[in-house]
Amino acid sequence: MKSYLFGVTLLCVVLAAGCAHKPAVVSDPASSAAAPPAQQVMAAPKAEPSPPPSPEVSVKAVSGNLDDYQDIEDPDKGKEVEKVTIADPLEPFNRAMFQFNDKLYFWFLKPVAQGYSKVVPEPARVGVSNFYTNLSFPIRFVNSLLQANFAGAASELGRFIINTVWGIGGLLDPAASKEIDLKKQRADFGQTLGVYGVGQGFYIHWPLLGPSSPRDTVGIVGDIFLYPSIYLGPWEVWAGARVYERFNDTSLRIGDYESLKEAAIDPYVAVRDAYVQYRLNMIKHKGGPPPPGVKGLLENN
Amino acid sequence: MRRPLTFAITILMILLFTMAAYAGVPTDTVQANVNKVLDVLRDPKLKGESAKEIKKKKLRVIYEQMFNDVELGKRTLARNWNSLSVAQRQEFVILFRQVLEKAYIDRILAYTNEKIVYERETMISGNLAEVQTKVIMASKEIPITYKVILKDGSWKVYDVNVENVSLVLNYRTQFSDILAKNKPEQLLEILRKKVKGQ
Repeated sequence: MKSYLFGVTLLCVVLAAGCAHKPAVVSDPASSAAAPPAQQVMAAPKAEPSPPPSPEVSVKAVSGNLDDYQDIEDPDKGKEVEKVTIADPLEPFNRAMFQFNDKLYFWFLKPVAQGYSKVVPEPARVGVSNFYTNLSFPIRFVNSLLQANFAGAASELGRFIINTVWGIGGLLDPAASKEIDLKKQRADFGQTLGVYGVGQGFYIHWPLLGPSSPRDTVGIVGDIFLYPSIYLGPWEVWAGARVYERFNDTSLRIGDYESLKEAAIDPYVAVRDAYVQYRLNMIKHKGGPPPPGVKGLLENN
Repeated sequence: MRRPLTFAITILMILLFTMAAYAGVPTDTVQANVNKVLDVLRDPKLKGESAKEIKKKKLRVIYEQMFNDVELGKRTLARNWNSLSVAQRQEFVILFRQVLEKAYIDRILAYTNEKIVYERETMISGNLAEVQTKVIMASKEIPITYKVILKDGSWKVYDVNVENVSLVLNYRTQFSDILAKNKPEQLLEILRKKVKGQ
């Protein structure tokens, strides 16, 4: 019984902490975010079980010309991006935690989120999600400032004011409308540290939190102090709010993790790689993508 | 002396105009192919479960026009490509395509009229370009970038980035992890099993 209590407390604390960071893409069973590579190549995400492939798939014997199958002369050709990998000295531990999060998602998070989404209609859940996003405005604002991304900080400030005043305390997101067009920034403390040259170190797959690194773990802790509700009441309230946020977010993303897992040959490596790619891009392109042309010039060399 | 001058100017004009038109060709090609996909998905005659196989067949044809599997496979294996025999490479390309089809076809078939915006085109080199697009949905926008290569006169997709995560790089990490510990034949066996749905 004691270990059960400990487990629940840990769950609350870590779940709560996890949401402060919120990588919007990298998929993990327990961490809410998910958008596996190319999952929506041109389609909307919808959870649907994959039927087995049709038999006529393999009709064609060879694709392309035989000439295309020659050796690659320069093995580094086609490697237009710098090496995107991460050291993984804790792999056995990480893989165990990945399994744990996987089970946690399928046995607990997903069923609860599914039940919840039957009771609460989608627009309301999007509203809740907007509300939490608005509440975590200080994280994006302060980190944009720290990264000297002043346009981003100004945009965040504008979003916060508009959405709080005209968006019913943040339930709606009028600032993102076509007329105003202030886009949400993706800024967190782990990214800020990266912008200042702190390396990612090695890979850690936290239970409940999912993919991370020493740098991004420090980032998560740092961002907790920028989350207003931590100052507003006893920690249980804060933790409860974060757990609810997690379920709400999960309910809007059911199917993403499943399709990532289905697409992957080794889901653990797929998640790790997606996390690393996503974080490196966030640091490289802080405050949005570079202006047209510049990127092409940089990558030409 | 007037003839050669006129001739030179004409050539110059033709070159200039083709070059100007060229700048937009990668985007036009991607857009034309995506539109073909959308036409199949939106076709009112192809509704319900029974039409699913017909849709898949049509999408497979478009996929072949849109993607260059060999280039995609080559870049995914990167330096490991050379450690496969030519026959293994051929099998790999086909298996990998089937893995991708299996993984993403239902997502694509589930498309429900989201808007697609073509944002920007960047030339990386003479025969490589990036076409940045965005899929706009009710609760979020998903940036999707198509990387295209000019092969035999047409632009073909060799990588897709969703939210800045590259499909090719993601699979490359997985495959090189497997190939670090296993022989190419074992990788093919893993892929065969994956296609069979185990």
